[in-house]
Amino acid sequence: MDSMLKAAILFWIPLLVIGFGVWLTISRKSEKFGIILSAFAILVFLASPWTVPESDSTAGAHLILSLIAPTLLMVYGIHGMIFGGNVPVGRLDASARWSGFLALFASFGILCFMHWSTFTPVWRGDVNPYWIVFWPTMLLFSTSLCAAASIGMVGYGEDRFSESLKLASMSIVFAGITLSAMIFDGEYTSAQEFRDYLFLAVADILGIIAGCVLSIGVFAVVIWSYEKSLPNPENTHPPTTEELKKLVEIADSHIGGEEE
Amino acid sequence: MNKTPLASWKLLIFSAILPIMVLVALNLSFGEGIHKESFKRFANALLTSYIVFGLVLLGNLFFYADSRHRPFAPLVGMFVAISFGILVVWALTSYEDLLLEANSGLRSQLLSNIVRLLVSMTGMAISLLIAIGLTFAMITGRERRILFEEE
Repeated sequence: MDSMLKAAILFWIPLLVIGFGVWLTISRKSEKFGIILSAFAILVFLASPWTVPESDSTAGAHLILSLIAPTLLMVYGIHGMIFGGNVPVGRLDASARWSGFLALFASFGILCFMHWSTFTPVWRGDVNPYWIVFWPTMLLFSTSLCAAASIGMVGYGEDRFSESLKLASMSIVFAGITLSAMIFDGEYTSAQEFRDYLFLAVADILGIIAGCVLSIGVFAVVIWSYEKSLPNPENTHPPTTEELKKLVEIADSHIGGEEE
Repeated sequence: MNKTPLASWKLLIFSAILPIMVLVALNLSFGEGIHKESFKRFANALLTSYIVFGLVLLGNLFFYADSRHRPFAPLVGMFVAISFGILVVWALTSYEDLLLEANSGLRSQLLSNIVRLLVSMTGMAISLLIAIGLTFAMITGRERRILFEEE
């Protein structure tokens, strides 16, 4: 089979089908089928580095596959930290908070090892080209979001200064990791390479946000112009005597009751 | 009585941008200058995300159509807007090497843009998970305070 056709069938079409399956699930048009379809498409997509090794695009799927383990550990950690705390329902054992904390930091540790040690996702015998796209983007965005969350916490919350400080310190931790990557070479990627890609990561983040805002703006204009073109709704006729009589009957049957 | 929040949207946006600006300034202090492909990357990311999110919103129009006797005009409007985006990408990528990065041609650039968007979005989604998760973890971490004591 032609390699392009193979890439289309085993990488690009499953990628589209994931989106279609999610759409079916959210729209509740065919919820179960949507979930099964998405799950199957995700499996085919993640298997693409082995099924279509000749396609360069499958490096993206390979990277996502490499990130599944630390992300699951992260989700487990965050779940434990939230529900091991003071929640009204579904509270876990108090030790879940500590195990969650350890799991979260272990997942950060794994990601750092992926940069500075031999855990780096290797594709075709070399470092995955998308690793250096993902890593600075994640670090920069985490730094930024944790800082915004810290300000939001102290600004919108009441007496939340200590929690805000903890979030700010998380932002500093991410900034520290970014700074370390700018200074110290990784196992497969140099500090110089990281510094170059940091600019591209900023361009990526700003570009994605700007593109999102632009498409939402266009969507709003399309809806607004359509709604504006609609004629005003006609006034309904006043109720007839017959309808009023019926209304009084219904109201009468619901008002009253016996005295105690 | 309503308490006026101390933070505003402007402050939140500023606090989100400030760390990035500081890190970029530190990166610049290494003396290598801004990467020459940065503008191309920004433009490619903007156009790709515009088209991809436009397609997502086009899908969303079906929900809107369900509540509006299935009008055709908004679908056509959104389709035209997305087509315009695709046309701009095609024109700018084909014109010399205006938006062409380290790729051999138009098709490979477009496909690489989509994969790059996917990877960047994965990074951003993980960051969002960390930030929201940690915020809730901090909120639930404190013991419940007694607001008032019954007499």
